[in-house]
Amino acid sequence: MTALLQVKGLTKAFNSVKAVNGLDFAIEEGHCVALLGPNGAGKTTTIRMITGLLKPTAGQMRFHAAANIGDERAIIGYLPQSPAFYNWMTGLEYVVYAGRLCGLTSQMAGNRAMELLERVGLTGAAKRRIGTYSGGMKQRLGLAQALVHQPKLLVMDEPVSALDPVGRREVLELLRELKRETTVLFSTHVLHDAEDLCDDVIIIRNGQIALQGAISSIRSDHRRPIIELQLERDDRSEKWLAGYAERIRCSLSHSSEAGLIHEIQLGDGHARFTVKEVDEARQLLLEELAQARVKVRKLEAGYSSLEDLFMKVVAQ
Amino acid sequence: MSTSSLIRYSVMVQKELLELVRSFKLLWVPLVFVLLGVMQPVTMFYMPLLLEKAGNMPEGSVIDIPLPTGTEVLAQTLQQFGTLGILVLVLTAMSTVSGERNSGAASLILVKPVSPFAYIGSKWTSMLLLAWGALSAGYLAAWYYTELLIGEVPAKQVIGSLLIYGLWLSFVLTMTLLFSTLLKSPAAAAFSVLGASVTLSLISGIFPKQMGWSPGALSGYAYQFVVGESFASGRFWLAAISGLFLIILALTASAALLRRSPAAE
Repeated sequence: MTALLQVKGLTKAFNSVKAVNGLDFAIEEGHCVALLGPNGAGKTTTIRMITGLLKPTAGQMRFHAAANIGDERAIIGYLPQSPAFYNWMTGLEYVVYAGRLCGLTSQMAGNRAMELLERVGLTGAAKRRIGTYSGGMKQRLGLAQALVHQPKLLVMDEPVSALDPVGRREVLELLRELKRETTVLFSTHVLHDAEDLCDDVIIIRNGQIALQGAISSIRSDHRRPIIELQLERDDRSEKWLAGYAERIRCSLSHSSEAGLIHEIQLGDGHARFTVKEVDEARQLLLEELAQARVKVRKLEAGYSSLEDLFMKVVAQ
Repeated sequence: MSTSSLIRYSVMVQKELLELVRSFKLLWVPLVFVLLGVMQPVTMFYMPLLLEKAGNMPEGSVIDIPLPTGTEVLAQTLQQFGTLGILVLVLTAMSTVSGERNSGAASLILVKPVSPFAYIGSKWTSMLLLAWGALSAGYLAAWYYTELLIGEVPAKQVIGSLLIYGLWLSFVLTMTLLFSTLLKSPAAAAFSVLGASVTLSLISGIFPKQMGWSPGALSGYAYQFVVGESFASGRFWLAAISGLFLIILALTASAALLRRSPAAE
């Protein structure tokens, strides 16, 4: 596996504020990578530096495939968060224009544009002015114009955030196909999209990398056994839960050595225990519950999701 | 410049021209100039009649306004172009770069392998085509009506003054392009350009000896040329050369500004 893009110490400072502070990562050829982080983490700034729209304050980016091309922009396709076109052009005209700017002949650009518009489902609207397009159509047009020169790296900034559920699903379906053909990097604040589509994630927080790696390895490295408990909302059960939580918190803070239960999160009538070992913890819990004659509604043993990890990493 | 970047440049010029057509600018800007050009000889010709019919003159008063010569009418036409004409051109061109940068359309183009110079150059080319087209149409219309109604004007004087005046318009529009790249607000760009061009012309008019070399003096040379007045040709050539030099400088500066920050957000 070769890295298509190698980023080292990428930094961008706006006046004294460092929006991006020393990012190191690599994008492997053929992978789909998500740049994940809460709003304001520096995702857009990073993406804009990769596309060359913003000059980094420090750090370097190396495109391996660009060595013999010279202009790295020729291998990148870019779709911004809310792409703006020329509203007086038709969709077809715009994609042809984009193709010609990327060095295609007018005939090649025309063929390629029709092919791409069909692919993104805009054939019917190809001869309409872009000014009349809906948000979802503009996003799909943006995808078509980004792909017109068959880029080696497709870079997208929040490709689905501004869309309604239907438009969102359409674009995600397209991405699922595209990632088989080219290397994809996209930013998102929705973990679910990243989990759905990507091989690798880079989680950034305050301009720094909080966690990165393949999704599968992150999942196995960081997953913890948990038990979820839901109770009826009667007095007796609620009182028991409050007391039990208190007892566990006491023992957690007193003994340095962790017991069976590492952590407890209390909600409205339900509790979530992060445990050391599921079987023993479940046994213990069931005994407690039976003894106190608590009305259990649901008891579930499982593993923590990526969402829990994301929340934990981002909230730190 | 390699052939591929030349092709990209010509593709971008085609796009700009298409935009001028679709936004009807290619229609109404020349129309304004033609209107301005026709109005001058026509009002001059009918002025005595208009005064007689509209003015509350006492019975028996003799109106005796000498009819201006043809060349004088053309010089006045150029002055009309210098106020209303420039206003119209600057207003159509003021958001040419800033508009695309503010909306984000520019960033979508500039991530493609195109040079900022080609981007600026294509806008400049289309703006100048519009300006020269409108100016020629308006001026030739003025010439036609002047010959028809007032008197003959030698072709050499018309064409010479057209070229000199066109250079002045090109200078003003190139400055508009620079300010449109420099400033986010189109209104601020238009205001700066109009203010600067008025100041420049005024200063060159007041101090012809000291400022005769500046491009601001070009409009004055055009008026002088059409009426057939002799003027210091050494200073004129200096003004023409400094105008061309500043045009090239402004284009280079705009491209450099764009390279440094392709998007304004």
